[in-house]
Amino acid sequence: MSGLSKSLTRSALRPVLIGVGSLILFFIFLEFAVRFGLINQFAVAPPSDIVKAFPRLFAEEHVGDRFLDTAFEAVIASVFVALFGISAGVLLYKVRILRLATETWVAAFAAAPTVLLYPLFLVIFGRNATTIIMMGFVAGLAPVTLKTLEGLSTTRRVLVNVGRSFNLTEWQLFWKILFPSALPTIFVGVRLGLVFALINIVGVEFLINFGGLGALINELSERFDLAGTYAAICFVILVSVMVFMTTERAERWLTSAG
Amino acid sequence: MSIAPARDPVVPAEAAQPPLLVVDDIVMRFETPEGSVTAVEHVSFDVKQGEFLAVIGPSGCGKSTLFNIIGGLLDGYQGRVAVGGKRIIGPHRSIGMVFQEESTFPWRTVIDNVAFPLEVAGMTKAERIERARHFVRLVGLDGFERRYPAELSGGMRQRVSMARTLASEPKIMLMDEPFGALDEQTRLLLGDKVIQIQQELNQTTLLITHNITEAVQLADRVLVMTYRPGRVKRFVAIDLPRPRNSEIVGSDTFGHYVAQIWSDLREEASRGMIADESRSRGRGRAE
Amino acid sequence: MADVGRLKNPSLIGPLLNPVMRLRIVIIVAVVALWEIVAVSGWLFRDVVPSWQRIIASLAATLSQGDFYFHLWATVYEIAVGLAVGGTCGLAVGILLGGNRLLSQSFESFLYYLGPTPKIIFFPVMIMWFGIGPGSKMAMGAISCFFPIALSVAAGMREIDRVLIRVGRSFRLSTGQMVTKIYLPAMRAPILNGVRLGLGVALIGTLLAETKLSNRGVGFLIIQSYNTFDMPLMYSLLIVLFALAIGLNSIIGWFAESDRMRR
Repeated sequence: MSGLSKSLTRSALRPVLIGVGSLILFFIFLEFAVRFGLINQFAVAPPSDIVKAFPRLFAEEHVGDRFLDTAFEAVIASVFVALFGISAGVLLYKVRILRLATETWVAAFAAAPTVLLYPLFLVIFGRNATTIIMMGFVAGLAPVTLKTLEGLSTTRRVLVNVGRSFNLTEWQLFWKILFPSALPTIFVGVRLGLVFALINIVGVEFLINFGGLGALINELSERFDLAGTYAAICFVILVSVMVFMTTERAERWLTSAG
Repeated sequence: MSIAPARDPVVPAEAAQPPLLVVDDIVMRFETPEGSVTAVEHVSFDVKQGEFLAVIGPSGCGKSTLFNIIGGLLDGYQGRVAVGGKRIIGPHRSIGMVFQEESTFPWRTVIDNVAFPLEVAGMTKAERIERARHFVRLVGLDGFERRYPAELSGGMRQRVSMARTLASEPKIMLMDEPFGALDEQTRLLLGDKVIQIQQELNQTTLLITHNITEAVQLADRVLVMTYRPGRVKRFVAIDLPRPRNSEIVGSDTFGHYVAQIWSDLREEASRGMIADESRSRGRGRAE
Repeated sequence: MADVGRLKNPSLIGPLLNPVMRLRIVIIVAVVALWEIVAVSGWLFRDVVPSWQRIIASLAATLSQGDFYFHLWATVYEIAVGLAVGGTCGLAVGILLGGNRLLSQSFESFLYYLGPTPKIIFFPVMIMWFGIGPGSKMAMGAISCFFPIALSVAAGMREIDRVLIRVGRSFRLSTGQMVTKIYLPAMRAPILNGVRLGLGVALIGTLLAETKLSNRGVGFLIIQSYNTFDMPLMYSLLIVLFALAIGLNSIIGWFAESDRMRR
């Protein structure tokens, strides 16, 4: 999937060069297209202006603090997502009838456009960080629950039989066999939950114009600061790609060790 | 001729020593949508201390059912399983199971896999690692203690499973086609390892297999089962010298035993094949 | 085999006697009752939790007004155009990436890492490009669904059984014939799955854009109900929206599943 992990070998270097090279060419084209009026300069900022806007983001717009706001919300939401999602998954695994009754509901909830609940959450919690955190929580809950359930129930039968043949108690069976066996899948769920939570958090910040990075984009665009808006968007993309890549690394490390 | 009738005749000289494992008149039926199926019917045998018994039969003779019943993983049978004269129900410490499928814990290193039964028994870390190291050495995996199963070959992983079972020091080691997924050469070499370990520990062993070479190579006695319902067809005592190794596979006596068991098994296996074919034909019509 | 299993499924034989169904009914009744207690007593979330009676009345009023259908149509139209544009681009890019190793290695990671970023932040840019009318909402829908469809098609293309491709080549099919006779039919399931994911995010992208800045569409109605603090209306709009989203998702999912089962 990601060419980046293999970039160390010589044969894999070519596609990376092509990818990055095309991107640079694209930016150069954009620069000239805007400068020479091929593209409306009120719609697209020239890449050089976007680059120049970056220091301004840090100095005047306190993008660092904004980032910390968003990160704080994301961390709180993820902790809650992991806590409640894993517990719910274990509960559904243990109580078979509850699973039969509600698994399709959870799956439907996972596919539902929960972010559209934000006006409702605004009414309930007000225009503050709680609303944003709760929106993140709602987005991440279902995938973690479903992945935990999947991990536990796809534990290979023979491993459970090994445990039973050694006369393990229910408690030991869970902590020594089911849980470690499910852990890589659970982590996939937590990672999905974190990514979904982050998407919702930045999105809701933008929509309700409160808090961290999302709100910054909104403010800059309302001030018609074209280069600043583009720079802030680039910053957000950079942050989410970094989060995505780091957690992907962690996931790969975990699945290869386990 | 060493072919015995269905019930093992008790040789008077050995009668003084009571058998370690007694399997007495086991009957197991399964309810399926098509009706009741008898998987195992009136199976009885004993295993003496230090003996290596192989149970052989065509696929569908209820071998794995028998394995799960003796191991205590399957309930709802008639009959009795006893170790040292005491009836056992459910999984029991005196019986250690080695499974057919890959069964090492992928999240534990070799040494932690082998130490697993000691860990759940509450042994301290230092002590259980020390003990586990001994069994790792026994199966010839010293130097691989810190590796994860994913880094080992299939044959090595099965040896880890065996070491893990041996570490719990069962009175009887129960193995269900432990080398079924491996190639023939690895299987023969691992057979040597099993013989060596069994001899060294004087480990009472019950092996379930469909591989005739494996049964003759390893066992003191072979129990041949019939196709569904699985009954005891015959016992064959394997009178080959010990210590053995895989070189005997080429000998005349070995070939003689293989031929003898195959003539019994052939009949059962072909019955099984015909039954399977008519069943898939029936299924094809139903769809 | 699947049909036999379905006939034996107890939920069809005695829906009310089956314990799973009974548990579901108990849960629903409990939630509704709890809601009603909260609503009537006013202990918690006062004014935020209206009684069911008012929600259902509002739902009925909404569904019987022509005005609602004007907004619903506006939203459906925006999503449809967004899905058509984004989906066509996604399909084309997916086929290119799935069919060419070098292109995939060079560019697919861009899509892979851009996929899970919040798309709504592009909305200010889309307004600058396409104005504040339906155009910018369609663009949001298109951007949102482009990524999952492209990635799903590219992955699906690589998973096609190599033998089928060799069969096509042995009949000396042209590239166009390869695409229409071999690749597309063999990838129905991943394409459908991509469309299912794409529709979900296109719906989110479009509606969020409508709540942010617009004068029509279901998203506009929702944010208007927020501004006028008409809670029963907000609930009934959300109920309609979720029912539509989950319903569409499961219909496409069912198509993809039955397509997979047939092979």
